[in-house]
Amino acid sequence: MQDSSQTDQTSSADRIANLSQAQINEKEMETPREMQKRCFREGVRACSPSLIGITAWGLVTGIAMIKSGFTLVQALGMTFFVFAGSAQLAALPLIVLSAPVWVIFLTGLMINLRFVIFSVIIAPHFTYLKFWQKAFWGYMTGDVSMVYFMSRFPTEQAEPGKFEYMKGLFAANWVAWQLGSVAGIFLGNLIPQSWGVGFAGTLAILCVLLPMILKRATLAGVIAASAIALATYHWPYKLGMLAAVIVGMLCSMAWEEWQERHSGTSGEQS
Amino acid sequence: MSNLDIWAVIAVLTLGTFLTRATFWLVGHHITIPKRVHEALRYAPACALAAIIVPDLLIHHDHIEVSLTNPQLMSGIIAGAFFLYQRSMLGTILLGMAVFTVVRIAS
Repeated sequence: MQDSSQTDQTSSADRIANLSQAQINEKEMETPREMQKRCFREGVRACSPSLIGITAWGLVTGIAMIKSGFTLVQALGMTFFVFAGSAQLAALPLIVLSAPVWVIFLTGLMINLRFVIFSVIIAPHFTYLKFWQKAFWGYMTGDVSMVYFMSRFPTEQAEPGKFEYMKGLFAANWVAWQLGSVAGIFLGNLIPQSWGVGFAGTLAILCVLLPMILKRATLAGVIAASAIALATYHWPYKLGMLAAVIVGMLCSMAWEEWQERHSGTSGEQS
Repeated sequence: MSNLDIWAVIAVLTLGTFLTRATFWLVGHHITIPKRVHEALRYAPACALAAIIVPDLLIHHDHIEVSLTNPQLMSGIIAGAFFLYQRSMLGTILLGMAVFTVVRIAS
Protein backbone atom coordinates (compact mmCIF):
# COMPACT_ATOMS: atom_id res chain seq x y z
CA MET A 1 0.00 0.00 0.00
CA GLN A 2 2.73 2.39 1.09
CA ASP A 3 4.88 1.36 -1.84
CA SER A 4 2.21 1.73 -4.41
CA SER A 5 1.23 5.16 -3.10
CA GLN A 6 4.87 6.19 -3.25
CA THR A 7 5.22 5.04 -6.83
CA ASP A 8 1.97 6.83 -7.58
CA GLN A 9 3.37 9.96 -6.09
CA THR A 10 6.62 9.78 -8.01
CA SER A 11 4.90 8.88 -11.23
CA SER A 12 2.37 11.67 -10.84
CA ALA A 13 5.20 14.07 -10.00
CA ASP A 14 6.97 12.89 -13.14
CA ARG A 15 3.82 13.30 -15.10
CA ILE A 16 3.38 16.85 -13.84
CA ALA A 17 7.00 17.59 -14.73
CA ASN A 18 6.54 16.06 -18.17
CA LEU A 19 3.27 17.86 -18.64
CA SER A 20 4.67 21.27 -17.79
CA GLN A 21 7.65 20.52 -20.03
CA ALA A 22 5.22 19.58 -22.79
CA GLN A 23 3.28 22.76 -22.19
CA ILE A 24 6.46 24.81 -22.38
CA ASN A 25 7.38 23.06 -25.61
CA GLU A 26 3.91 23.64 -26.96
CA LYS A 27 4.07 27.31 -26.02
CA GLU A 28 7.44 27.59 -27.66
CA MET A 29 6.12 25.98 -30.80
CA GLU A 30 2.94 28.05 -30.90
CA THR A 31 3.66 31.41 -32.48
CA PRO A 32 1.83 34.46 -31.05
CA ARG A 33 -0.27 34.50 -34.20
CA GLU A 34 -1.35 30.88 -33.66
CA MET A 35 -2.10 31.56 -30.01
CA GLN A 36 -4.29 34.51 -30.98
CA LYS A 37 -6.17 32.43 -33.54
CA ARG A 38 -6.68 29.65 -31.00
CA CYS A 39 -8.07 32.08 -28.41
CA PHE A 40 -10.37 33.69 -30.98
CA ARG A 41 -11.74 30.25 -31.87
CA GLU A 42 -12.17 29.44 -28.16
CA GLY A 43 -14.28 32.58 -27.80
CA VAL A 44 -16.45 31.64 -30.76
CA ARG A 45 -16.84 28.08 -29.46
CA ALA A 46 -17.71 29.24 -25.94
CA CYS A 47 -20.73 31.25 -27.06
CA SER A 48 -21.79 29.02 -29.96
CA PRO A 49 -24.69 27.34 -28.08
CA SER A 50 -26.34 30.73 -27.58
CA LEU A 51 -26.06 31.85 -31.19
CA ILE A 52 -29.27 30.26 -32.45
CA GLY A 53 -31.20 32.27 -29.87
CA ILE A 54 -29.37 35.46 -30.82
CA THR A 55 -30.23 34.81 -34.48
CA ALA A 56 -33.89 34.30 -33.59
CA TRP A 57 -33.92 37.64 -31.79
CA GLY A 58 -32.28 39.34 -34.72
CA LEU A 59 -34.89 37.75 -36.98
CA VAL A 60 -37.71 39.20 -34.91
CA THR A 61 -36.13 42.64 -34.90
CA GLY A 62 -35.69 42.49 -38.67
CA ILE A 63 -39.33 41.51 -39.15
CA ALA A 64 -40.48 44.28 -36.81
CA MET A 65 -38.60 46.93 -38.79
CA ILE A 66 -40.18 45.86 -42.08
CA LYS A 67 -43.64 45.64 -40.51
CA SER A 68 -43.20 49.21 -39.18
CA GLY A 69 -42.95 50.39 -42.77
CA PHE A 70 -39.19 50.70 -43.18
CA THR A 71 -37.76 50.33 -46.67
CA LEU A 72 -35.12 47.61 -47.19
CA VAL A 73 -32.30 50.18 -47.20
CA GLN A 74 -33.56 51.89 -44.04
CA ALA A 75 -33.95 48.59 -42.21
CA LEU A 76 -30.47 47.41 -43.28
CA GLY A 77 -29.05 50.79 -42.24
CA MET A 78 -30.69 50.52 -38.85
CA THR A 79 -29.46 47.01 -38.12
CA PHE A 80 -25.87 47.65 -39.27
CA PHE A 81 -25.46 51.06 -37.62
CA VAL A 82 -27.61 50.95 -34.49
CA PHE A 83 -26.94 47.27 -33.59
CA ALA A 84 -29.06 47.39 -30.42
CA GLY A 85 -32.11 45.13 -30.59
CA SER A 86 -34.03 46.34 -27.57
CA ALA A 87 -33.47 50.01 -28.42
CA GLN A 88 -34.55 49.37 -32.03
CA LEU A 89 -37.71 47.54 -30.94
CA ALA A 90 -38.57 50.37 -28.55
CA ALA A 91 -37.96 53.04 -31.18
CA LEU A 92 -40.21 51.47 -33.85
CA PRO A 93 -43.61 52.37 -32.32
CA LEU A 94 -42.30 55.91 -31.68
CA ILE A 95 -41.25 56.19 -35.33
CA VAL A 96 -44.68 55.01 -36.45
CA LEU A 97 -46.20 57.73 -34.23
CA SER A 98 -43.73 60.31 -35.67
CA ALA A 99 -42.39 61.13 -32.19
CA PRO A 100 -39.72 63.86 -32.04
CA VAL A 101 -36.21 62.63 -32.81
CA TRP A 102 -34.85 63.71 -29.42
CA VAL A 103 -37.51 61.62 -27.64
CA ILE A 104 -36.42 58.57 -29.64
CA PHE A 105 -32.79 59.36 -28.85
CA LEU A 106 -33.48 59.53 -25.10
CA THR A 107 -35.50 56.32 -25.25
CA GLY A 108 -32.62 54.50 -26.93
CA LEU A 109 -30.18 55.94 -24.42
CA MET A 110 -32.30 54.82 -21.44
CA ILE A 111 -32.74 51.31 -22.77
CA ASN A 112 -29.00 50.97 -23.33
CA LEU A 113 -28.03 52.27 -19.89
CA ARG A 114 -27.26 48.74 -18.66
CA PHE A 115 -24.35 48.75 -21.10
CA VAL A 116 -22.76 51.58 -19.12
CA ILE A 117 -22.63 49.15 -16.18
CA PHE A 118 -21.27 46.39 -18.44
CA SER A 119 -18.59 48.70 -19.83
CA VAL A 120 -17.44 49.58 -16.32
CA ILE A 121 -16.83 45.84 -15.81
CA ILE A 122 -15.13 45.08 -19.10
CA ALA A 123 -13.21 48.25 -20.01
CA PRO A 124 -10.52 47.88 -17.28
CA HIS A 125 -9.43 44.62 -18.97
CA PHE A 126 -8.48 46.49 -22.12
CA THR A 127 -7.05 49.86 -21.07
CA TYR A 128 -3.94 49.22 -23.19
CA LEU A 129 -5.80 49.16 -26.52
CA LYS A 130 -5.67 51.96 -29.08
CA PHE A 131 -8.45 54.57 -29.08
CA TRP A 132 -10.24 53.23 -32.15
CA GLN A 133 -10.02 49.63 -30.91
CA LYS A 134 -11.66 50.60 -27.62
CA ALA A 135 -14.35 52.54 -29.44
CA PHE A 136 -15.05 49.66 -31.81
CA TRP A 137 -15.10 46.76 -29.33
CA GLY A 138 -17.03 48.81 -26.81
CA TYR A 139 -19.66 49.42 -29.49
CA MET A 140 -19.78 45.64 -30.20
CA THR A 141 -20.69 44.62 -26.61
CA GLY A 142 -23.74 42.37 -26.25
CA ASP A 143 -25.73 41.14 -23.24
CA VAL A 144 -24.94 37.47 -23.61
CA SER A 145 -21.31 38.08 -24.67
CA MET A 146 -20.79 39.86 -21.34
CA VAL A 147 -21.81 36.79 -19.38
CA TYR A 148 -19.43 34.51 -21.27
CA PHE A 149 -16.59 36.99 -20.95
CA MET A 150 -17.04 37.35 -17.20
CA SER A 151 -17.24 33.63 -16.55
CA ARG A 152 -13.99 33.10 -18.48
CA PHE A 153 -12.14 36.15 -17.07
CA PRO A 154 -13.51 36.99 -13.61
CA THR A 155 -10.50 39.16 -12.70
CA GLU A 156 -8.78 42.03 -14.51
CA GLN A 157 -5.42 40.28 -14.39
CA ALA A 158 -3.64 40.47 -17.76
CA GLU A 159 -3.71 37.15 -19.62
CA PRO A 160 -2.42 36.31 -23.07
CA GLY A 161 -5.19 35.83 -25.58
CA LYS A 162 -7.84 37.70 -23.59
CA PHE A 163 -8.37 40.29 -26.31
CA GLU A 164 -8.71 37.60 -29.00
CA TYR A 165 -11.14 35.58 -26.87
CA MET A 166 -13.27 38.71 -26.44
CA LYS A 167 -13.10 39.38 -30.18
CA GLY A 168 -14.30 35.82 -30.84
CA LEU A 169 -17.27 36.25 -28.49
CA PHE A 170 -18.28 39.67 -29.82
CA ALA A 171 -17.75 38.86 -33.49
CA ALA A 172 -19.76 35.62 -33.30
CA ASN A 173 -22.55 37.47 -31.52
CA TRP A 174 -22.51 40.18 -34.20
CA VAL A 175 -22.61 37.69 -37.09
CA ALA A 176 -25.43 35.65 -35.50
CA TRP A 177 -27.45 38.81 -34.81
CA GLN A 178 -26.97 40.33 -38.27
CA LEU A 179 -27.71 37.05 -40.07
CA GLY A 180 -31.03 36.85 -38.23
CA SER A 181 -31.79 40.51 -38.69
CA VAL A 182 -31.07 40.54 -42.45
CA ALA A 183 -33.12 37.34 -42.87
CA GLY A 184 -35.97 39.02 -40.98
CA ILE A 185 -35.73 42.12 -43.17
CA PHE A 186 -36.03 40.06 -46.36
CA LEU A 187 -38.56 37.51 -45.07
CA GLY A 188 -40.46 40.07 -42.98
CA ASN A 189 -43.80 39.63 -44.55
CA LEU A 190 -43.66 35.83 -44.81
CA ILE A 191 -43.32 34.92 -41.13
CA PRO A 192 -46.49 35.49 -39.08
CA GLN A 193 -46.04 37.40 -35.81
CA SER A 194 -48.11 34.75 -34.00
CA TRP A 195 -45.40 32.10 -34.40
CA GLY A 196 -43.47 33.90 -31.69
CA VAL A 197 -40.05 33.19 -33.21
CA GLY A 198 -38.50 35.71 -30.82
CA PHE A 199 -39.32 33.48 -27.88
CA ALA A 200 -36.33 31.36 -28.94
CA GLY A 201 -34.16 34.29 -27.81
CA THR A 202 -35.85 34.23 -24.40
CA LEU A 203 -35.18 30.49 -24.13
CA ALA A 204 -31.52 30.99 -25.07
CA ILE A 205 -31.12 33.57 -22.31
CA LEU A 206 -32.85 31.22 -19.88
CA CYS A 207 -30.14 28.64 -20.65
CA VAL A 208 -27.40 31.22 -20.01
CA LEU A 209 -29.04 32.37 -16.79
CA LEU A 210 -29.87 29.01 -15.14
CA PRO A 211 -26.30 27.89 -14.37
CA MET A 212 -25.56 31.33 -12.89
CA ILE A 213 -28.32 31.16 -10.29
CA LEU A 214 -26.87 28.00 -8.75
CA LYS A 215 -24.77 30.49 -6.77
CA ARG A 216 -27.07 31.70 -4.01
CA ALA A 217 -25.97 35.34 -3.93
CA THR A 218 -26.71 35.57 -7.67
CA LEU A 219 -30.07 33.85 -7.16
CA ALA A 220 -31.00 36.43 -4.51
CA GLY A 221 -30.22 39.25 -6.94
CA VAL A 222 -32.00 37.55 -9.84
CA ILE A 223 -35.18 37.07 -7.80
CA ALA A 224 -35.13 40.72 -6.73
CA ALA A 225 -34.40 41.92 -10.27
CA SER A 226 -37.23 39.77 -11.64
CA ALA A 227 -39.71 41.15 -9.13
CA ILE A 228 -38.71 44.74 -9.90
CA ALA A 229 -38.84 44.09 -13.65
CA LEU A 230 -42.41 42.78 -13.32
CA ALA A 231 -43.52 45.58 -11.00
CA THR A 232 -42.08 48.27 -13.29
CA TYR A 233 -43.15 46.65 -16.54
CA HIS A 234 -45.26 49.64 -17.54
CA TRP A 235 -42.65 52.29 -16.76
CA PRO A 236 -41.66 54.42 -19.75
CA TYR A 237 -38.38 53.88 -21.64
CA LYS A 238 -37.88 50.48 -19.98
CA LEU A 239 -36.36 52.38 -17.06
CA GLY A 240 -37.69 49.63 -14.82
CA MET A 241 -35.00 47.40 -16.23
CA LEU A 242 -32.27 49.70 -14.92
CA ALA A 243 -34.01 49.77 -11.53
CA ALA A 244 -34.15 45.96 -11.63
CA VAL A 245 -30.41 45.68 -12.30
CA ILE A 246 -29.49 48.10 -9.53
CA VAL A 247 -31.80 46.58 -6.90
CA GLY A 248 -30.70 43.07 -7.96
CA MET A 249 -27.02 43.94 -7.53
CA LEU A 250 -27.69 45.42 -4.08
CA CYS A 251 -29.56 42.27 -2.99
CA SER A 252 -26.72 40.03 -4.20
CA MET A 253 -24.22 42.15 -2.29
CA ALA A 254 -26.38 42.12 0.85
CA TRP A 255 -26.67 38.34 0.60
CA GLU A 256 -22.92 37.96 0.11
CA GLU A 257 -22.23 40.12 3.13
CA TRP A 258 -24.76 38.30 5.30
CA GLN A 259 -23.22 34.99 4.27
CA GLU A 260 -19.70 36.17 5.04
CA ARG A 261 -20.77 37.28 8.49
CA HIS A 262 -22.40 33.92 9.19
CA SER A 263 -19.86 31.69 7.46
CA GLY A 264 -17.97 31.27 10.75
CA THR A 265 -20.97 29.66 12.44
CA SER A 266 -22.70 27.75 9.66
CA GLY A 267 -19.77 27.11 7.34
CA GLU A 268 -22.18 27.09 4.42
CA GLN A 269 -20.52 27.73 1.09
CA SER A 270 -22.13 28.42 -2.19
CA MET B 1 -41.86 59.95 -41.02
CA SER B 2 -39.95 61.08 -44.07
CA ASN B 3 -36.90 59.20 -45.32
CA LEU B 4 -34.67 61.94 -43.91
CA ASP B 5 -36.34 61.72 -40.48
CA ILE B 6 -35.79 57.97 -40.37
CA TRP B 7 -32.10 58.41 -41.17
CA ALA B 8 -31.90 61.06 -38.45
CA VAL B 9 -33.39 58.52 -36.02
CA ILE B 10 -30.87 55.90 -37.17
CA ALA B 11 -28.04 58.41 -36.64
CA VAL B 12 -29.08 59.37 -33.10
CA LEU B 13 -29.73 55.75 -32.07
CA THR B 14 -26.26 54.81 -33.37
CA LEU B 15 -24.87 57.63 -31.25
CA GLY B 16 -26.84 56.24 -28.28
CA THR B 17 -25.39 52.74 -28.76
CA PHE B 18 -21.91 54.20 -28.98
CA LEU B 19 -22.25 56.54 -25.99
CA THR B 20 -23.59 53.90 -23.60
CA ARG B 21 -21.28 51.06 -24.66
CA ALA B 22 -17.98 52.74 -25.54
CA THR B 23 -17.69 55.91 -23.42
CA PHE B 24 -16.32 54.15 -20.37
CA TRP B 25 -13.80 52.24 -22.51
CA LEU B 26 -12.46 55.59 -23.72
CA VAL B 27 -12.46 57.65 -20.51
CA GLY B 28 -12.76 54.96 -17.82
CA HIS B 29 -9.10 54.93 -16.80
CA HIS B 30 -9.53 58.49 -15.54
CA ILE B 31 -12.24 57.37 -13.13
CA THR B 32 -11.66 55.17 -10.08
CA ILE B 33 -14.53 52.91 -9.13
CA PRO B 34 -14.77 52.02 -5.43
CA LYS B 35 -14.00 48.36 -4.69
CA ARG B 36 -17.49 47.75 -3.26
CA VAL B 37 -19.16 49.06 -6.40
CA HIS B 38 -16.90 46.87 -8.49
CA GLU B 39 -17.88 43.81 -6.50
CA ALA B 40 -21.55 44.62 -6.92
CA LEU B 41 -21.14 44.99 -10.69
CA ARG B 42 -20.24 41.29 -11.00
CA TYR B 43 -23.93 40.57 -10.45
CA ALA B 44 -25.18 43.06 -13.06
CA PRO B 45 -25.28 40.80 -16.15
CA ALA B 46 -27.31 38.07 -14.41
CA CYS B 47 -29.76 40.67 -13.08
CA ALA B 48 -30.06 42.27 -16.52
CA LEU B 49 -30.74 38.93 -18.21
CA ALA B 50 -33.41 38.13 -15.60
CA ALA B 51 -35.00 41.56 -16.10
CA ILE B 52 -35.16 40.86 -19.84
CA ILE B 53 -36.67 37.37 -19.76
CA VAL B 54 -38.87 37.19 -16.66
CA PRO B 55 -41.48 39.61 -18.09
CA ASP B 56 -41.25 37.63 -21.36
CA LEU B 57 -42.14 34.45 -19.46
CA LEU B 58 -44.84 35.77 -17.12
CA ILE B 59 -46.58 38.62 -18.93
CA HIS B 60 -49.28 37.35 -21.25
CA HIS B 61 -51.98 39.56 -22.79
CA ASP B 62 -50.37 42.57 -21.06
CA HIS B 63 -50.65 41.31 -17.48
CA ILE B 64 -48.95 38.74 -15.24
CA GLU B 65 -50.53 35.36 -15.91
CA VAL B 66 -49.50 32.29 -13.93
CA SER B 67 -51.54 29.55 -15.56
CA LEU B 68 -51.31 26.41 -17.67
CA THR B 69 -52.52 28.36 -20.68
CA ASN B 70 -49.64 30.88 -20.64
CA PRO B 71 -47.52 29.42 -23.46
CA GLN B 72 -44.32 31.30 -22.53
CA LEU B 73 -44.48 30.21 -18.89
CA MET B 74 -45.23 26.54 -19.68
CA SER B 75 -42.48 26.48 -22.26
CA GLY B 76 -40.03 28.19 -19.89
CA ILE B 77 -40.70 25.72 -17.06
CA ILE B 78 -40.46 22.59 -19.19
CA ALA B 79 -37.49 23.81 -21.26
CA GLY B 80 -35.71 25.07 -18.12
CA ALA B 81 -36.10 21.71 -16.38
CA PHE B 82 -34.86 19.96 -19.52
CA PHE B 83 -31.82 22.24 -19.66
CA LEU B 84 -30.86 21.62 -16.02
CA TYR B 85 -31.07 17.89 -16.74
CA GLN B 86 -29.49 17.75 -20.22
CA ARG B 87 -27.40 20.97 -20.51
CA SER B 88 -28.12 21.16 -24.23
CA MET B 89 -29.04 24.65 -25.33
CA LEU B 90 -30.15 23.72 -28.83
CA GLY B 91 -32.34 20.90 -27.51
CA THR B 92 -33.81 23.26 -24.94
CA ILE B 93 -34.70 25.87 -27.54
CA LEU B 94 -36.28 23.30 -29.86
CA LEU B 95 -38.28 21.66 -27.04
CA GLY B 96 -39.26 25.08 -25.67
CA MET B 97 -40.53 26.31 -29.05
CA ALA B 98 -42.48 23.04 -29.50
CA VAL B 99 -44.18 23.41 -26.09
CA PHE B 100 -44.79 27.12 -26.75
CA THR B 101 -46.47 26.35 -30.08
CA VAL B 102 -48.59 23.49 -28.70
CA VAL B 103 -49.87 25.53 -25.74
CA ARG B 104 -50.44 28.58 -27.94
CA ILE B 105 -52.58 26.61 -30.41
CA ALA B 106 -54.36 24.56 -27.71
CA SER B 107 -55.33 27.52 -25.50
